[in-house]
Amino acid sequence: MGILAVLFWVIIFFLFYKVLAYFKSIEILGELLLTKLMAVVFLTFFLMLVISNIITSLSTYFLSEDNKLILTVPVSTEKVYLSKYLITLGHSSWMVLLFGIPVFMAYGTVYGASASYYLWLSVTLLVFLLTPGGIGVMISTALVNVVPAKRARGALVVMFILLLAALYLFFRFLQPEKLVNTEGFSELVDYLAMMRLPTSPFLPSHWATRSLFPLLKGRFDDSMFYFLLLLSTGLMSVLAGSWICRLLYYRGWSRSYESREAKVKRTPLLEGLLDFLLRPLHGSTKAMMIKDVKVFLRDTRQWSQLILLFALVVVYLFNFKALPLNKVPGISFYLENIISFLNVGLAGFVLSAVAVRFIYPAISLEGKSFWVIMSAPIELRRLIWSKFWTSLVPLLLLAEALIVLSNTFLHVTQFMMIISTVTIFLITIAIVSIGIGIGAVYPRFRVEDVAQIHSGFGGLIYMIICVTFIVLVIFLEAWPTYLIFMARTRKYFLSYLQWIEVIFCFCLTVSIILAAIFIPIKIGLKRLSRIEI
Amino acid sequence: MIQLIELTKRFGQLVAVNRIDLHVKQGEIFGFLGPNGAGKTTTIKMLAGLLKPTSGRALIDGHDVVIHPMEAKRVIGFIPDQPFLYEKLTGVEFLRFIGSLFGMKKAGVELRISDLLGLFELDGWADELIESYSHGMRQRLVMSAALLHNPKVIIVDEPMVGLDPKGINLVKRIFRQKSEEGVSIFLSTHTLEIAQELCHRLGIINQGKLIAMGTLSELMTALEHKTAQTGTLESLFLALTGRSLDE
Repeated sequence: MGILAVLFWVIIFFLFYKVLAYFKSIEILGELLLTKLMAVVFLTFFLMLVISNIITSLSTYFLSEDNKLILTVPVSTEKVYLSKYLITLGHSSWMVLLFGIPVFMAYGTVYGASASYYLWLSVTLLVFLLTPGGIGVMISTALVNVVPAKRARGALVVMFILLLAALYLFFRFLQPEKLVNTEGFSELVDYLAMMRLPTSPFLPSHWATRSLFPLLKGRFDDSMFYFLLLLSTGLMSVLAGSWICRLLYYRGWSRSYESREAKVKRTPLLEGLLDFLLRPLHGSTKAMMIKDVKVFLRDTRQWSQLILLFALVVVYLFNFKALPLNKVPGISFYLENIISFLNVGLAGFVLSAVAVRFIYPAISLEGKSFWVIMSAPIELRRLIWSKFWTSLVPLLLLAEALIVLSNTFLHVTQFMMIISTVTIFLITIAIVSIGIGIGAVYPRFRVEDVAQIHSGFGGLIYMIICVTFIVLVIFLEAWPTYLIFMARTRKYFLSYLQWIEVIFCFCLTVSIILAAIFIPIKIGLKRLSRIEI
Repeated sequence: MIQLIELTKRFGQLVAVNRIDLHVKQGEIFGFLGPNGAGKTTTIKMLAGLLKPTSGRALIDGHDVVIHPMEAKRVIGFIPDQPFLYEKLTGVEFLRFIGSLFGMKKAGVELRISDLLGLFELDGWADELIESYSHGMRQRLVMSAALLHNPKVIIVDEPMVGLDPKGINLVKRIFRQKSEEGVSIFLSTHTLEIAQELCHRLGIINQGKLIAMGTLSELMTALEHKTAQTGTLESLFLALTGRSLDE
């Protein structure tokens, strides 16, 4: 995970560095664009932090198990508020550090800023976190006095994920790659110069920008004034939060335990359909699959991530539609087919990323209820295979949709369409199998938060195995695919030796895929059958 | 019906259960008593298939729980001390799920579920998600699930925790009725009154070893011989486990 985080930072840094360096090179408007962009970055962080703080504080202040103990000991509300405020801030603000630091470092690099900028940046960022934290706690405290905490959190998680998906789609459809196209640039600059970006002087995001930006050029200007504005507002929001908590915390906390959850909605159509489709399966396998589908669909924290997944798929496909391949005369046909082949690997990586979130945790999601399975007269292989089938069907649909649609946008040959759809079919089965198998080797039945499952050591091992496997398959398939593709395109026959190469490579690929399908399941089953709870 | 032969469980250097031998007959209610950390739950988990014995054997209805776990589990109704359940299922869905795991026929399951939900007074909550159940309701749901497939053996860890007096009374009644029907019940408890009132025979475990076993009167007689004084189950328990009433 550490390696992935560093890689992510490097990519963000590099992308922003390129864009910022380009903006800076534009005379007159460059500086304005850079200021506005920093204000937009701060504003986006501010909004995300407020929402993130509301969701997190609902958990830490109202739904956390330790409340039952803390609230029975003689500790003042202020102390409870402050300790939980710090926990909330930590949980909800790491994202800003992950996204923000490379962005602001890119600013520093473009301007060749001195150490004072980085020092000021670290202090400003920390102070910037205070206000949304205070606002988040105040809103959640007021909210649970009206709506029970569990329902409020469910609705907010969905809202937050919708917001993220919308932001992601919005930025992608702006087609930032057009910025490098000088033909359209003059219009864009005119547009940006004319519009007033949302930098209200009353927002902390504006103050953070005004505090930080002058330091890029080694000047201090009004930095201290805006910093103090940021700090005093932050501290005031913490204080106001404490007042609100003193008034409303106990009432809200007790309310969160008063009301029942909403009655579950009946879904006879879905249940009937599942019952019909799963008819050929063994009764207990079928029962476990139906149970898993119901639990998934009823858990807001799980299904709501599908919204983000949907946005990811739309952007993935949009990228293929937007590829300027037709601008390269002569080689576009070959380029399209090469990209189509590489796309299998890329789709494999995307599927692995989806699987580490949804499929790898499948066994661990049995949680503390695992005793039900362990004490029932069913073999553990039924549990493993039920998880396998429940995961395989949706991932296969996603995989084939990604490949078929992107191939259609690329206008690839029939041969490439067949080879890529068959390859992704087999790769997907292996990805699911590795996910279930490794998930069974590293089960975490006692975690409170589902997100902790995939972020552990097992999740990292799973990703490493998947990436290695996909690279290996693509590498082995590349040569025979190239030989056949060229022979078909240029209309010549392969020699005997080439046929032997083709058959050997394909056989080796299939063997590796079969090993990746069966070995992890076998290892996982062996490990799970030794488990004691 | 339940037979433990030199059953042993080690966790590293710690011997949690040390060569226990006992036999529970058909229709018998056997109470397993012991202080905290004595090895009660470890023994029960081995019987239910959640832990594997380090050595020795545990037989349920003649089936070794390690060699033939499926056959053994098929005749067991297990009630753990903490009722962790699938929070996002409703009570009736959970029972249907259990019915499927035990390979019960659909029509029979529905009838049985309806009876059990009525018996445990959960019929008004059947379509509510389990996450909205109280501890006592969860415990009653687990008991319904354990009885669903008409087990020959009931293994229960601390059956009365979280139950109100009415619930405790109901469970006692059900256990007695099951015993009369020939079901063997192996229950661990801290509540000496319940053991005294319900169990045909008692076993006392301390530091992993079974230190006394017999009917209540047999144990009392043994105590009288040993200490030359009469007493209650409580004084017997304390005398055997090496504790005083002040502790």
